[in-house]
Amino acid sequence: MFQRTHAIARKFDLQGSVIYLGFIAIFLFFAVTLADDGFLTTRNLSNIVLQTAPATIMAIGLVFVLSAGEIDLSFGSIVAVAALSAAVVMQEHSMLLGILAGLGAGLAIGWLNGALVAYLRLPSFLVTLATMGLFAGVARSMTDLRSIPVISDVFTGFFGSGSLFGIPSLILWTLGAVIIGHLIYRETRFGAHVIATGDNPRAAQVSGIKVPRIRLAVLMVSGGCAGLAGLLYAGRLQAAKYTLGESDLMTVIAAVIVGGTALNGGKGSVVGALVGSLMMGMLNNGLILMGLSVSDQMIVRGLIILFAVAISLRGTSRA
Amino acid sequence: MSIRKMLYAASVASMLLGSAAYAQTVGPQGETATPSASITVPEDKVATLKEGKHRAALLWHDQSDFVNAVTAGATDEFTRLGIEVVATTSAGFDAAKQRSDIETALAKKPDIVLSLPLDPVTSAAAFEQAKSEGVKLVFLSNLPKDYKHPADYAAIVTDDLFQMGKQAADALAKVMGGKGTVGWIFHDADYYVTNQRDNAFKTTVEKDYPDMKIVAEQGISDPARAEEIANAMLLKNPDLGGIYVTWAGPAEGVLAALRANGNKTTKVVTLDLSEPVALDMVRGGNVTALVADEAYELGRAMAATGARALLGEETPPFIVAPAVTATADNVKEAWQQSLRVDAPKSVVEAGK
Repeated sequence: MFQRTHAIARKFDLQGSVIYLGFIAIFLFFAVTLADDGFLTTRNLSNIVLQTAPATIMAIGLVFVLSAGEIDLSFGSIVAVAALSAAVVMQEHSMLLGILAGLGAGLAIGWLNGALVAYLRLPSFLVTLATMGLFAGVARSMTDLRSIPVISDVFTGFFGSGSLFGIPSLILWTLGAVIIGHLIYRETRFGAHVIATGDNPRAAQVSGIKVPRIRLAVLMVSGGCAGLAGLLYAGRLQAAKYTLGESDLMTVIAAVIVGGTALNGGKGSVVGALVGSLMMGMLNNGLILMGLSVSDQMIVRGLIILFAVAISLRGTSRA
Repeated sequence: MSIRKMLYAASVASMLLGSAAYAQTVGPQGETATPSASITVPEDKVATLKEGKHRAALLWHDQSDFVNAVTAGATDEFTRLGIEVVATTSAGFDAAKQRSDIETALAKKPDIVLSLPLDPVTSAAAFEQAKSEGVKLVFLSNLPKDYKHPADYAAIVTDDLFQMGKQAADALAKVMGGKGTVGWIFHDADYYVTNQRDNAFKTTVEKDYPDMKIVAEQGISDPARAEEIANAMLLKNPDLGGIYVTWAGPAEGVLAALRANGNKTTKVVTLDLSEPVALDMVRGGNVTALVADEAYELGRAMAATGARALLGEETPPFIVAPAVTATADNVKEAWQQSLRVDAPKSVVEAGK
C-alpha cells in the first residue's frame, strides 16, 4: 500500500506529501474496519487529538532541534520536572506563578542543554542523554515519588479539560503551537538560520549566521515546548507525577521523522510533525479498538512505523 | 464479677481483637476482606447476562506473567457469562497513557472495566468519565482518591497480602524447626502491596515463633542491589538460619551472594514465582519456598464482581484472592494454581 502511495506521490511530484497520504490511508483503513466500533465518532476522533496534544507540542520543539542538526533526548524528563514544578508551586502560590515555574523550568533546562552544546562544543546527543537521566532523577526526588494534585479549576480548564466556543483547550493549544511554530520555521529569519545551520554549519557560519546562538536557541525552544507539554499533562490529569513524559521519547522522535524532518538536519516540517503525531495517536487508538492483545498492538504498531519511516525518508531524500 | 476478673476479661478480649485485626489483609481504606471464593454469579442469572450482550474492557497498568494470568482468569469467566472482552490495554506504568487508554476503550461502550489504577491521585480524574457514564468499575489493588463504594466502583480485588507474608514465615519456620536467626529484607518504599506482605512475615515470626529471632533487617529499593545487601548481612551474621526476601527479583541477588559465600545452610523464602529461584529450590539449593498469589482466581473474581454489579447484586468493597505456597514437592501444581500455566520446563525436569 505504501509502495503504491509513494508511486502516486512521485507521479504527482508530491514526495513531501507522502506522510499525508500515509495518514489518509491509515485513517481510511480504520474507518472501514472499525466502522461499527466507534472509531468515526466525534468523541473518539477528538480524543485522538486531545491525547496527542502534549506529544505534538514536544514534536514541534524537536523539529527545530533536528533541523539545526542537533538532537534532544531530555525532553521527556523536562516534561516531568515542569509539570511537578508547576504543581508544587501552585500548592502554595498563585496559578500564574505555577505556570511561570513550569515554563521556566523547561526553558532553564533547555538553556543548560544549549549552553553545553553551543559553548562547550559537546555533542547534543551526549549532553541530552546525560541531562535526560539527571532530570529524571530530579523529578523523582522533587516530591519523593509522590503525585501532586492540581486543584485549580482554572488551571485544569485552561490546560486540560476546558473549552472555548465548544473547542477543547487542548485542541486550541495544538493549533496555536502548530501555527506559531510553522510561521517561525517557514517565514522568519530565525527559521531560515536554523535550517541553514543544520544543512551546513560551516557555510552558515561563513555567511554570518551565529551558529552557537542558533544551537542554544533550538534547545531552548525544545525545553520550552516540553515545559508547555508538562503543563498540558498536569491540566489533563489534574495532577503531576514523575513518570509524565517518560514514555514519549520514541513516539515523538518517530512522529517527527515520519513527518518529514531529516534526522541529520537541514530539513523539517512543523505541519508534518503534527500529522506524524496524530498518526501515532491514531495507531494507538485504532489498534486498541480492533481488540488486539497488547503484544500484538506493539508488533503491528512497530511494523507500521517502520514502513512509514522508510517511505518518509525515501520521500524526503528525493525531494 | 470482681473488678480484677473484668479487667482480665477485657485484656483477653482486646488481645483476641488485636490478633484478629493483624491476622488479615485490610483494604486501602481499612475495609475488611472478603474471600474471592465467595464471589460468584448465581447460575440462574447467567442466562440474563448472556441476553444482555454486555461488553468488558481490561485496562492494565503493565504486562507481566501476573497480568497475563489475571487476564486469562477474567476472560474465561467473562466468556462463560457471555460478556465480550472488547479492549485490552497496557499503560506501561504511564499515568497519561492510562488516561488515554480509558478514553479510547470507552468508544467501544464497555459495561464493565477491570483496571489497576496506577496512582490514587492521577487516576481519580482518569476514571471520572467512565464513572459518570455508569460503567461498572472493578479495581485491582489500588483505589482512585475519594471514590466511594458502591456508588463509584464495584470492588477492589487484590491478593491476600497478609496470608502471603504469613505463609512465607510458616514455610521458613517449618524448615528451621521453629528456631534460629532470621534476616528480613523488606521493600523500602511506601507501597501498599509489598509493605503489607513484608510486615505480615515479620509479625508472624514475632508472634507465632518465639524461638525465631529477626537479627538483621535491611530495606531494599533497587533489586539490583540485593546481592551487596545480602553480602553485608551475611558478613555480620554468618550463621543466619534463614532470609526472607520481599520478592523474587531481589531473591536472585541474595542467592548469588549465598553461592559466592559457599553458604548452603541459610534457607531463603520469597514471594512470587520466578524460574531461576524455583530452579534453585527443586535442585535442593537454599530456597525452601516461594509464596505466590492465585492470579487466575483473582481475575475470575474481578470478572464475577463486575457481572454481579451489572445484575444489581451486592458486591463487597474489598475482595482477596488466596495465596499458595510452592515447595520442591508441589511446584508443578502450585504453578498451575497460581498462573494456570505449566511450570517452566527447566524446573519440571530438574525436579524429576
